[in-house]
Amino acid sequence: MQLTIERSAFLRALGHVQNVVERRNTIPILSNVQLVANEAGLSLTATDLDLAIVETVACEVRRPGGTTAPAHVLHDIVRKLPDGAQIELDYGAEAGRLVVRAARSKFALSCLPREDFPVMADGDLPYHFVLPAADLRRLIEKTRFAISTEETRYYLNGIYLHAPEDAPVLRGVATDGHRLAHIEISLPEGAGGMPGVIMPRKAALEVHKLIEDGEGVIEIALSDSKIRFSLGDIVLTSKLIDGTFPDYQRVIPSGNDKLMEVDCKSFAAAVDRVATISSEKSRAVKLTVNGSTVVLSANSPEQGSGTDEVPVNFNGEGVLEIGFNARYLLDITGQIDGENACFDLSDGASPTIVRDAADPGALYVLMPMRV
Amino acid sequence: MAEQSVQATGPVATATLIGHEAAELAFLETAAAHRMPHAWLLSGPRGIGKMTLAYRMARCLLSRGVAGGDLFGGPGSLQMPPESDLFRRILAGGHGDLRLIERIVNPTTKKLRTEIAVDQIRGLSRFFSLTGAEGGWRIAIIDGAEEMNPNAANALLKLLEEPPEHCLLLLVSHGPGRLLPTIRSRCRQLILRPLKEADAIAVLAQQLPDLDQHECLGLVRLAEGSPGRAVAMAAEGGLQTYGELLALVGDLPELDYAAVHALGDRLARANNEGAYRVWVDLLRLWLSRLARGGAGLDQMSDAVTGEVALASRLTMAVGLDRWVELWEKIGALAMRAERVNLDRKQVVLNVFMALQSTARH
Repeated sequence: MQLTIERSAFLRALGHVQNVVERRNTIPILSNVQLVANEAGLSLTATDLDLAIVETVACEVRRPGGTTAPAHVLHDIVRKLPDGAQIELDYGAEAGRLVVRAARSKFALSCLPREDFPVMADGDLPYHFVLPAADLRRLIEKTRFAISTEETRYYLNGIYLHAPEDAPVLRGVATDGHRLAHIEISLPEGAGGMPGVIMPRKAALEVHKLIEDGEGVIEIALSDSKIRFSLGDIVLTSKLIDGTFPDYQRVIPSGNDKLMEVDCKSFAAAVDRVATISSEKSRAVKLTVNGSTVVLSANSPEQGSGTDEVPVNFNGEGVLEIGFNARYLLDITGQIDGENACFDLSDGASPTIVRDAADPGALYVLMPMRV
Repeated sequence: MAEQSVQATGPVATATLIGHEAAELAFLETAAAHRMPHAWLLSGPRGIGKMTLAYRMARCLLSRGVAGGDLFGGPGSLQMPPESDLFRRILAGGHGDLRLIERIVNPTTKKLRTEIAVDQIRGLSRFFSLTGAEGGWRIAIIDGAEEMNPNAANALLKLLEEPPEHCLLLLVSHGPGRLLPTIRSRCRQLILRPLKEADAIAVLAQQLPDLDQHECLGLVRLAEGSPGRAVAMAAEGGLQTYGELLALVGDLPELDYAAVHALGDRLARANNEGAYRVWVDLLRLWLSRLARGGAGLDQMSDAVTGEVALASRLTMAVGLDRWVELWEKIGALAMRAERVNLDRKQVVLNVFMALQSTARH
């Protein structure tokens, strides 16, 4: 393999793929990035055995071929080379070494054979669809906070992505048993009839990093055991969580008729202020809704108590008291982009629905706390 | 172009397995009948090829998965050429559907842990909760299953109770009695026996091709059908030490005290702890061989020339029970010496005195 590549393009690609390579690896081949040069350019592959990311960069290939080299070392070298440098990669001149040359710098990196590198077989991915990257970004951003980290319920450690039969939408759901995020985007062509899949947290976060600027379109291909995201020259393939997502529809209450609408920013700020006092462990905040105001209060035996008041629109009768975990409340209000947040309440012991007044595709469910 | 490949040795790099045809057949038949259990327990003495068999089973299942055809329709063999892609990837540790659990180096103390920790088993449940990387089986090998600490064993039990589909656990253990009975009862057991002499010689000749025939035979006899132990003994110069030992005890009840003192001095040196251990192990091995040979349990054959003649002379002169007693006594002494850090030379002298007094009766 022999080629010349522009430093900034190489660095950007290495930056993307080296993200998935873990810093501490007991298996030598997993700390390496696979480099393969052919007519299409140079393709870089890195994997942690759960997901693999491949990026192809245009370059001037003089001799095709491939090898694997230490990912972090290569990334650091390229990062420290001067901007605008032309980098020459040569594998084959020195036995078992990848020679990296730029201007007066020369490095020879020890390599491992390409044949030892893990394969993430895509197999057959029968469902394909294309959607705007901004849509997928919104779906991941607004659900990721609710993904469970509890490993005994492993089927909650991801985002449940599916196309429900009752509406033409692509829906992402995540929950940890205390809160649930339910985000819908318009159904892309070809996604109808796709199997419901649970996308692992790591895959969701890695994809999110790639589409952070939210431009362009992303292609998704999936089967019931793999999911593949293609974004321009970058392809990310991940395993899925092998389990059944619980019937979340059952936990979304339908009879909550007491509606409270509140200015999201001032409500979140008040929750944050009051939560300072609530005890470290439970972080409970009590909401007392009475006519046109909601009184937020917290008290802890050690530190004292605190209250705050926010004006609301409430259509219920009398006084309603309900407690929530302050952190969960802040997580959810943090997802609401519109001005107002709507709370659909029933009573102090029932799950509450939180909605974004400006976004009908987003819905959150929050379990109350006893206070 | 010689790439600097991973120079792995041991079971993961061993393509062939000799002497366990019955166990392989049992596995293949189960596979062909589509009745694969979710866990196998491979047990037997150290160094007889349990891990090699586990890797062969794993490769077999993983390769059929890749082909996508009938999972178990292939030929009735677990053999796979070492140059195949799958073999190489497993050797390099780069197969997404195979995990190996064994004692690891503790990252904070940099020492090998004495047990398999619960985090490692929890990592396994994470691995099993994801779909396969190559679309077939997901396999985990637990090497030294009896080394799991209680928490790890309980975590494993949870996996064994509700095994995910297309997941296989291969437990490898040389002390299955130390496993929880609830774990044992949830695995299909395969008990591997020590190898026959000819088989063990064949394996040893493969592992150490430079060994001469005579040495090979001696090592195999000492290792009692475990090629793994024979390889370890060859590395420690075990056969030579054994010869020296027999020379020292050859004239029992007479002893060459000058030689015994010289041996004691040598083993007591600060950097000779390893040699001392080997020596104690070999002495006990000699006594057990002697006792078993005398009782007619094993057909004893010379590991070192003159061994059988010496054994029959000693067992004729003194009752077997005395030799067994001595074997026990030396074992206890060695253990006590280790625990309270006794002077190694004193231990050696004590041992020889005990030998002499037993032989005098």
